[in-house]
Amino acid sequence: MKRILVVDDEANIRLLYAEELAEDGYDVVTAANTAEAVEKLQQGEFDLAVLDIKLKNESGIDLLQKLVKERHDMPVVLCSAFSCYKDDFSAWLADGYIVKSGDLTELKQEIARILAKKAQRTKA
Amino acid sequence: MDWECCWDRDNIVMGDCPNIHAGDEDLLQSRNRRILEKCSECNRFKRDLSRFRDSGHPLAPVFSLVHSEYQRQKTQIESLVSFLDNKTLEVRFLHELGSVLQSSVDLEEVLSVALTAITAGKGFGMNRAFLLLINRDLGLLHGYLAIGPRNYEEANQVWNEIAGNDMDLQTLAQSFRLNKLNSERAKFHDILARLTVPLSETGHILVKALDGKHPVLIENAFNHPEVNPELAHLLGVDRFLLMPLISRNRRVGMIIADNCITHRSITQEDMRSLENFAFPVAFAIERASLYDRLQLELNRATEAGNKLKEQQEVIVKMEKMALVGRITSSIAHSIRNPLMIIGGFARSILKNTPTSDPKRDFIESIVGEARQLEGVLDEILNYTDMLYPTRDFWDVNQLVESSIRDTSDRLRAWGCESTFIPDTSLPPVFIDYKQVSYCLRTMIISDIDGHEGGKIDISTYLDGDNVIVHAVDTSVRLSQEALDAMLVPFSTTLELGNGLGLALCKTMLEKQGIPFNAQLLPEKGVEYIITLPTRKEEQS
Repeated sequence: MKRILVVDDEANIRLLYAEELAEDGYDVVTAANTAEAVEKLQQGEFDLAVLDIKLKNESGIDLLQKLVKERHDMPVVLCSAFSCYKDDFSAWLADGYIVKSGDLTELKQEIARILAKKAQRTKA
Repeated sequence: MDWECCWDRDNIVMGDCPNIHAGDEDLLQSRNRRILEKCSECNRFKRDLSRFRDSGHPLAPVFSLVHSEYQRQKTQIESLVSFLDNKTLEVRFLHELGSVLQSSVDLEEVLSVALTAITAGKGFGMNRAFLLLINRDLGLLHGYLAIGPRNYEEANQVWNEIAGNDMDLQTLAQSFRLNKLNSERAKFHDILARLTVPLSETGHILVKALDGKHPVLIENAFNHPEVNPELAHLLGVDRFLLMPLISRNRRVGMIIADNCITHRSITQEDMRSLENFAFPVAFAIERASLYDRLQLELNRATEAGNKLKEQQEVIVKMEKMALVGRITSSIAHSIRNPLMIIGGFARSILKNTPTSDPKRDFIESIVGEARQLEGVLDEILNYTDMLYPTRDFWDVNQLVESSIRDTSDRLRAWGCESTFIPDTSLPPVFIDYKQVSYCLRTMIISDIDGHEGGKIDISTYLDGDNVIVHAVDTSVRLSQEALDAMLVPFSTTLELGNGLGLALCKTMLEKQGIPFNAQLLPEKGVEYIITLPTRKEEQS
């Protein structure tokens, strides 16, 4: 079962992602902030991380940079309320980018696409 | 002694004196005046005087002496009177000229007055004049303007015309400026173009005269050791006057004047008069040139001031817009998350709610409303985003292909299809990729949404300096009102969620100076034309 780390400062969003992704067969672990995310990452391996760009008093981009540096084999999907974050070059470090929506189809498709690509890469 | 002349009679009758004619009747009764005014010139009197001299009277030689001295002085006085009259006319002319020159800061007017004054009969009466000006930037003395006839026929015609109209100098100059300035310039174009001398050629007679700062009369020009034969042949005259124009010790230009038609000699008196005239002309030319330059600088300064003002306004506007952007982003974040949670959980519940459950309709409504609100949010965020276009050169075909790809899911959902015929030889277009891409996607979606089985055909082609993106949908049937409504933001005929689409595109594109046209086709369907610039300066 693929393990996904969800980092979002909104408890209800974490719950929604956890429920929906679990329903699709993923093992979901959630974190409310950077410190918690780092802690969870130290506790175990993850196949993918879903990050909110705007965390309370913190930046998801900073966490993304940290993850790219330390866990470069773990793909990251960024989620944001703003489409304009696509224009931030730092955001280009992420493997995927989606604008938050009540319809999680796009997020799920993006996760599936990235994991499939990762699996293909590993196989090769 | 019988005298032949009537000087010895107090009163005479008409016919007694051959020099008294109608109008001189008062002299018939005035002996003294008659002697002074008429007798001294009369041959009869001279013969009487001769007889008197021969008579041996001791006073006879004295009379002859007094008479010849009187004649000499009379002639001298008449000459002085004539000289004074001429000088009075000249002073009057210079005064008139000075008044005109002092009151004008228009270079063309000053030059018209100067050249008219040289050639007018009431002025210096020269046949022809060339004006050369100094171009300091290029270090040249170059032919600028000329006036005068080129042959006898033209001279007769022009001088008859002028003689027929009793115009003062100012009127003549105005008439020249209005009616003749350009034609004279064209008429002498060939000569003026060749009257160009580098100021560094200090041996050239024109530069020499300019450096000497005094008029030079050239005679026997074709054989003059200092005159370039080319110059003599160009002017076609043997005698001409070079009049340097000097103002405050600065070289302004040169006037070349000649009498190419009448061949009247140019006297020292002419030269002195022209020298007096040259100073105010040079001063006026320099002042008008400086005024022109000042005006140019003033225009530049005004333009820079306006630009600065515009930029300040833009900065203020951008600051306001940045604030609006920050507020909107903050609101969007605050709304997006709860909206996502509402929509997300509603969808989650919906999935697990049987179709027979009566509450399913309510949950579907929540999902639908949440989706619509997310759409509105996207539009508002896009609007905020479009306030800052970032332009660069992009491949238009790649842009269209990407937009079609991005909307392919939507097209499939409606059972619609699209075709794209690109012109592969197109130059890159100068646009904000993100905004134009959004507009293309919105255009495609606005067109197919609600029209099952539709088809949109897109093509690109070059039109002058622009690249056209042309889209046609012949399957849709729209009224003009409906199309107009689509192009007006938040039109009352449309729901809020759909009301910004095309209208926003139009505003977005027009802000980049890109025309966007949507029009109904005569038969059926809609045609969209987006005209993209290929050059930077095309931007507004």
